[in-house]
Amino acid sequence: MLVVSLNSEKKINQKLENSVLVSLDSVKKTYEDGKISVRALRGIDLKIAEGEFTTVYGPSGSGKTTLLNLIGALDKPSEGQVKINGSIINELDRNGLALLRRDNIGFVFQSYNLIPVLTAYENVEFALKISSSNNGNPVRNSKERSAQILEQVGLGDMLDRRPNELSGGQKQRVAIARALVKEPRLVLADEPTANLDSKTSKEVLEIMLEMNSKLKTTFIFSTHDPMVMEYAGRLLEIRDGKITREERR
Amino acid sequence: MYLSKIALRNLFRRSGRTLIIAGVLAFAIFFAIILETFMAGMMEMSFSNIIDFDSAHLQIARPELFADNEDPLDHLFTPTEEVLTEIEKLPGFVATTPVLDFSANMLAGREEYPVRVRAAAPASFKEVFRYQDYLIEGDFLQAGDSGLVIGMNLAEILDLQVGDFYTLLFREEGGSLNTIQGEILGIAATPEPGMNLGTVIIDQSFAASALGVSSSEINQLKVKMTDRHSAVARSESLEKQLTGSLAKDFQVNSWRDVSDMLVAMEVWGQLETYFIVALILLVGAIGIINVVVLSSLERVEEIGMMKAMGLSEKQIVKIFSIEASGLGVIGGLIGAGLGAVGTYLLVNIGFDLQLLYGDITLELGIPILGTIYGVWKPQSFIIFFTLAVTVALISSLIPSYWAARKDPVDAIYHR
Ligand SMILES: Nc1ncnc2c1ncn2[C@@H]1O[C@H](COP(=O)(O)OP(=O)(O)OP(=O)(O)O)[C@@H](O)[C@H]1O
Ligand SMILES: [Mg+2]
Repeated sequence: MLVVSLNSEKKINQKLENSVLVSLDSVKKTYEDGKISVRALRGIDLKIAEGEFTTVYGPSGSGKTTLLNLIGALDKPSEGQVKINGSIINELDRNGLALLRRDNIGFVFQSYNLIPVLTAYENVEFALKISSSNNGNPVRNSKERSAQILEQVGLGDMLDRRPNELSGGQKQRVAIARALVKEPRLVLADEPTANLDSKTSKEVLEIMLEMNSKLKTTFIFSTHDPMVMEYAGRLLEIRDGKITREERR
Repeated sequence: MYLSKIALRNLFRRSGRTLIIAGVLAFAIFFAIILETFMAGMMEMSFSNIIDFDSAHLQIARPELFADNEDPLDHLFTPTEEVLTEIEKLPGFVATTPVLDFSANMLAGREEYPVRVRAAAPASFKEVFRYQDYLIEGDFLQAGDSGLVIGMNLAEILDLQVGDFYTLLFREEGGSLNTIQGEILGIAATPEPGMNLGTVIIDQSFAASALGVSSSEINQLKVKMTDRHSAVARSESLEKQLTGSLAKDFQVNSWRDVSDMLVAMEVWGQLETYFIVALILLVGAIGIINVVVLSSLERVEEIGMMKAMGLSEKQIVKIFSIEASGLGVIGGLIGAGLGAVGTYLLVNIGFDLQLLYGDITLELGIPILGTIYGVWKPQSFIIFFTLAVTVALISSLIPSYWAARKDPVDAIYHR
């Protein structure tokens, strides 16, 4: 009996552990910029569970982008450990990081970063095809999936438009569709609404929330806009490279 | 698939830049193709002129004659039946004619000019050479006649006309001086400049009696063959046959052995072509590097996004390389197209060397007069096209790697 209960307790712990998608352990990031060194993150401890919708809120220069880049395996910490989906990114080389990103993470950036020579539809399908071209097994129904996800973000009738034929909000929706199409575990959005007016911002955020509840995708997005803050399921406030407030709603 | 799509669309998005660089490559290819065509045409004509008017395809003579051209009269022989039969048995044999060459000074009035006298058997000479087709005045040789056929440049220098008297001053086999005299029978203007100036032609039977040698004694047999390329190989087998089974002391030279200078020129021509091509492709390569660097700078954020999405560096390099190769293909196609048009014009209309350079061909010793026609060289189209694409591809690699290795964070935020 004793043995059994010990085992089941272990299982529960494991389950908890498994549902943690991202964990940061005393993470520091210092930029050496010539003679001056900028301490962008000064010790972050953080766990993000699967399916969470997290907002990182803080003023300009507080370290939001730096934090998201570490969580996104785009960069490595100067100190401490970052673990994404079981992989410790400190230990990965450039290729390893690229593979980790490809297979687990979707990105949305403030400046949309769509490929200008591809249509909305092609931008989305491209993201899907990358993984297939890399590991050899073709993605099935890439056409349907790409069209469907664009439909879901409300761009069903703009598949063939090039980025320069779309508004800022529409571009950001394409970017979200692109991030979501390969059904990653984690979507990181660094100030996705910073270039949008408040109405469009709300639409974009609502789409992200909807996707979060529909697909159970984990979202982390950053903002310095207090209005946007209220969409958070979990709010992290960051100042001078430290988490100063944490709140679940 | 998407990588090429992105690459090619970028190529056409920047059509101005694409056209400029492709234009540079196209010009290089065009220029190289035309130069090759032209050189090949010039060589082709030079060789056929030498063959048609001077050397024929094969020459059979005593080895000493080829070794020492000073006293051709010392190296006479009489072609025997079995030698002639052996020659006629050669695959590709067309005709043969005996020739007795010797040196003399041509005297006319107070002028004196050194010439090579070629004593020829008129009937068979016509079957081997085309000299007689280029008479501009008078008649060709008659058997037994003292008449002399000379080239138009010599006629001009010595101010000679058909019917004028000539004197040839020469040194006999023994060493004493002797002369041949007669009338100018004909004046020829051949496309082979050497024959227009330095060579006069006389009937062989008449010359033999004037020289005091037997009429069957000659110093060369000239042979015309169906094809000049196989003739080179035949010269060796014939020589083996003559010196081996017939145990005769003969050397057989092909047109190529006498055209040493031209063969050397051909090599130089090739080198020159490649040098110019290398130079222009270098310019093309710099252009390509420029394009790749510029477009990767313009597309930093795009590259950053691709890296964030997990594209490997290899895949990013591929995009830029396809783009650069596309430039090479466009440039190569335009260049080959222009080259084809240029070659067509050169082959069918030709190019008048004298119009451009005056009589320079004479001074350079190129055995061509008048219009040069190009020659189709399909392999040069393939070679230069491939070269353009390869240069484009190779010169894109380093800047592509540079672009692909950008730090994703720096690239995305364009820092
Ligand atoms: N590559 C870098 N080199 C030097 N300093 C940097 C670099 N990147 C960021 N920093 C500095 O690190 C600190 C945190 O920057 P970060 O971009 O993470 O802030 P942020 O919260 O995203 O700000 P914003 O709202 O303006 O985007 C800032 O002081 C910034 O100047
Ligand atoms: Mg930022």
